[in-house]
Formats: sequence, structure tokens, C-alpha cells
Amino acid sequence: MTRIASPRIAGYAALAALGLFAGLAAGRVELVALGAPFALATVVAAAAGREPRLAASLAAERERALEGDEVGLTLELSSATGASRADVLVLLPDELTTARPNPRAVRLAAGETRTLELPLRCGRWGAFAVGPALVRARDALGFHAWETRLGVPAPLRVYPSVETLHALLPPLETQVYVGNQVSRAHGEGIEFADVRPWTPGDRVRRVNWRATARRGELWVNDQHPERNTDVVLFLDTFAEVERRGRGTLDLAVRAATSLAHRYLQRKDRVGLVSFGGFLSWLLPASGTQQLYRIVDSLIQMDIVLSFAAKGVDFLPPRSLPPKALVIALSPLLDARSAAALLDLRARGFDLVVVEVSPVPFVDPGKGELADLSYRLWRLSRESLRARYERAGVPVVEWLDGVPLNVPLEEVAAFRRYARPARA
Amino acid sequence: MTLAVLAVLVYGAVLADAVLHAHGLGTLVGEIGSLGLLFLALALVRGVEELLPAAMVCLGGAYTVAVYVHGAPLDERAPLVAAGLLLCCELAAWSVDERLRIAAERAVVRARAVALAALVGGALAAAALVIAVAAAPAGRGLVWTVAGAAAVVLALALAARAGQR
Repeated sequence: MTRIASPRIAGYAALAALGLFAGLAAGRVELVALGAPFALATVVAAAAGREPRLAASLAAERERALEGDEVGLTLELSSATGASRADVLVLLPDELTTARPNPRAVRLAAGETRTLELPLRCGRWGAFAVGPALVRARDALGFHAWETRLGVPAPLRVYPSVETLHALLPPLETQVYVGNQVSRAHGEGIEFADVRPWTPGDRVRRVNWRATARRGELWVNDQHPERNTDVVLFLDTFAEVERRGRGTLDLAVRAATSLAHRYLQRKDRVGLVSFGGFLSWLLPASGTQQLYRIVDSLIQMDIVLSFAAKGVDFLPPRSLPPKALVIALSPLLDARSAAALLDLRARGFDLVVVEVSPVPFVDPGKGELADLSYRLWRLSRESLRARYERAGVPVVEWLDGVPLNVPLEEVAAFRRYARPARA
Repeated sequence: MTLAVLAVLVYGAVLADAVLHAHGLGTLVGEIGSLGLLFLALALVRGVEELLPAAMVCLGGAYTVAVYVHGAPLDERAPLVAAGLLLCCELAAWSVDERLRIAAERAVVRARAVALAALVGGALAAAALVIAVAAAPAGRGLVWTVAGAAAVVLALALAARAGQR
């Protein structure tokens, strides 16, 4: 505990000395009387300098919350010797706000335990440590202050809110396990695909009697089997553009959460690759546990500045399974990620690029030169987009404020009318 | 803000009293007091407690000039002036403490107000005691002067020690 004495104690002592000496030298008792209160105040200040012996504990109502939720935080503060005034400030990240006053000043009697409630509003996703509490105790007249940090920070994970997606992107190819996605292949399933001549081993219930009667030989129905898909969410974390707390990474994380939630609901396997200064991945898996793993990983995602050359070769092969649909969420700001995506396409992955547009977050600047450079930058982005389209990769621009459904529908339309290019 | 205004009002009241009793040297007393007011204003605006003693030295000096000009053997208003000086200082210090926007409970404000009232009351009593002891018919001479000097040194040593703790 750090003790801080008010500078006015020394000032009062000096005033008392001045009054007494001046009174003695001038032979005027009034000057002694002027110094007497300050001498008394100095003695009172010395007597008041007792350490308040504070203790505190911090506890959050729960460890997990959604964006926009309110989480109660409780601070229990006690003092063995009492404190006339204790200023308490619970250190909060910028993303968490409270309607209650923070800091606040409370009075503690000796041995009393005060419970301070602090309802926290989770404004933005992230993994946070709430606290510790900075406490400054003072004596009754503020002659002395004792400052300390109390309480162990309480962990709080705030998950991004999930956007409702009307439709998901179907992959070009499905996997071998049973799922909810109608496969393009023929086999056992529900959806009708085609009719074909009977072959030994076909069940009688699959015989199409109308076609058989018309052609004079046995014909059977073929179906599309329902299979699962592997989806890899590929997040570009090399660079971001941010303005007033919102940025491309924020949008990408929100989109990835919504996509992971929806694909996992559909019993697909979802994996995650964070491709940036700090490389990380989650192997594709299905289930609620995988959703928590992905979201936990997403909320800790950050931009790590790095100049090291990186390619998809650095990723373990199992993180990008064959026939997987790779949905890249990238602001297309870093040449390394742009090249890695083209490399993925060249390796035959079913790639979709959702360009989290940095344009709304960029200030074009003023003046002819700024205008020219801004236009050149926009043109270079257009050219990069054209490169992807030439490689048969659907690339859509996603602007802040636009629902994620819009770029997904654009990709679906692109796939409907454009034949996938073979690398 | 209220505390700062109160501190300035108390300062102004003590200064006005000194100016009124300074007769011909009212301007000089006013000038010395104004310099102190400048220190006080600086302390309040910039939140520098260290300037408060300087303001009190100026106000005390203005009062001393007034006492000399008045010529009375013993000024009975001295305890009130002394308590006024301390009250002004404490109000200003409280105002500086409240510069940080911290929502304080009513009990916290009440505790400081009570403590301040007790301190000012005690200061008034101490100053009155000094005046009363001085007014009492006691002996004069070298022995009393030495005893007074010894008391001053002892009081200062105690104050210095208390200030260091």
C-alpha cells in the first residue's frame, strides 16, 4: 500500500513555525494566535496517519456473455481499521461500460464489509479481465492517502452476437458423412436425381414403374444423398482498418461467428484458420463444443504486425481437408494473404472470398494528391478483385452496415451463373 | 465549485476585515491580500495545494500590517482571523480534492464536513487560549522570554516531527 502525505501538512508546519517566530520576534501575541491553528492541524494530521488495512474481492456474475448483455460485477470491500473515505475505481476495458458511477467514494467503518454492485454492459465482443480495483483511502480531512490495487481480475468472455442467415453457401462437393446438404452425387437419399436402367443389387422399392412400363425394361430412380460438408473459415489477420472502435477485423469476427454457428447447426464440420502475423488453426469438427472452441478462438483474435513471408504451406494439411469449402474473410490489404488465397485456388480448393471492405473506414483525405492516391488505391483493389475472378474465385465486397446475407447471396448468384474454373 | 467559492468568500471576509481596520494603509493591506488571493485562485484553478500556504502568508501579512496600524495592545479578533485562515485553507484543499469526478456517498461528505467543523472549532479554541493566556497578568522578564522561546522551539520540533511522519 503506497502512502501519500498531503503537501499541506508541511505547509501547515511551516505556517505554525512562521507565526510563532514572528510573534516572538515582534512581541505580538496575535501572530502566535495565527500560527496556533496550523500547529493544531499538523498534530491532527500526524494522529490521523493510520493505515486503513483494506481488503477486496471481485466476482463476476458469470464468465460468459453475449454482446449487449448485462453482467453483474460485485466488489466486496472491507477495512479492519475503517476509512473515512475510500475512492474505488474498478478497471474496465473500453468495451465494457456501466451505468453506475465508477469511480465512487464510500465510507467504511472499522470491520465493516461493503458490497458494491456494478452492472456491466458488454458493448463489444472480446476476452476481458475485469479489474483489479484501484482503491485510494483517505483520512477524514484528506491529510493522508493510501493507494493500492485490490482483488484478482475477474475473467469475462463476451461472444459476438449472431446474425440470422437465411441461406448458406453450398459447397461444390460434399464429404462422405451423413449431413443435411444434398450432394451432387447420386446414391441413397431422399431428393430425386435421375432414372437409370436397373442393375443387380437395386432394391425393388426403387423401381420407377412408369418408366419401366414405357420402356419395357426395369428402370430405377436415383437420388441425391444427404451429406455433410467441410467448411473452413479463413480469416486474414495480417492487417485491418479501424475507425471509432469498428473495423474490418470486428466485422470479420462477427461474420465468422455467424457462419460457424449456422454451418454447425447444419451438422457440417467447421474449421478455422487465422492467417496473419500469428498463425493459428482449428481442425474441422462438428458439434456445440466446436462452436465454443471457434468462438473462444475468434474473440482472442488480434492483428499481429509481422513482416515474415507466410504461405499456406505453413498450415498443417488436416486444417484444409480436400473438397472443403474455404470461406475467406479478408480486407485484402496484405499481399501475402492475397497470394495465399490464389495459391489455395490453384490447389483446387472451393474458395469464396468475402472482402470485408476497408473503404468505409478509410478517410480519403483532402487535396489533389490525397484524392489521386485514394483513387489509385481503389483501382488497385479493383484489379486484385479482377485477378480472383479470372481464377474463378467468387469475390464479393461486404460493406459495414450491410447484412451478411447480401454478400452470401451474391456469391450464390455468381456460382449459379459462372462455371467453376478448373485450375 | 461551491467549496472553492466558499474558500474565496472566507478569504475575502478576512481580507475585508483587515482592510477596514488598516485605516491609512488600507491600500497596502489590500495589495498584499490581493497577491494572496492570486495564489489562492491559482491553487484552486490549477489544483496545486502547495500554493495555499503562500496565500495564507499574504493574508496573515495583511492582517499583521492592519494590527500594527490599528495600534491596539491586543487584537481580540485574532482567534477568529486564525480560524478563518485555517477554514479557507481547508475548504480550498477540499475543493482541490474534489477536482476528480468521483461520485461520493452522502456519508463521506458529511464525515469530512464534521471533521472540518471540529478542526476549525479546535483551532478557534487554541487561538483563543493563546490570546487569553497572553491577556492574563503574568510576570515579565528574561525568564519568561526564555521560557517562551523554549516553548516555541518545542512546539516547532513537535510540528516538524508530526509533519515528517
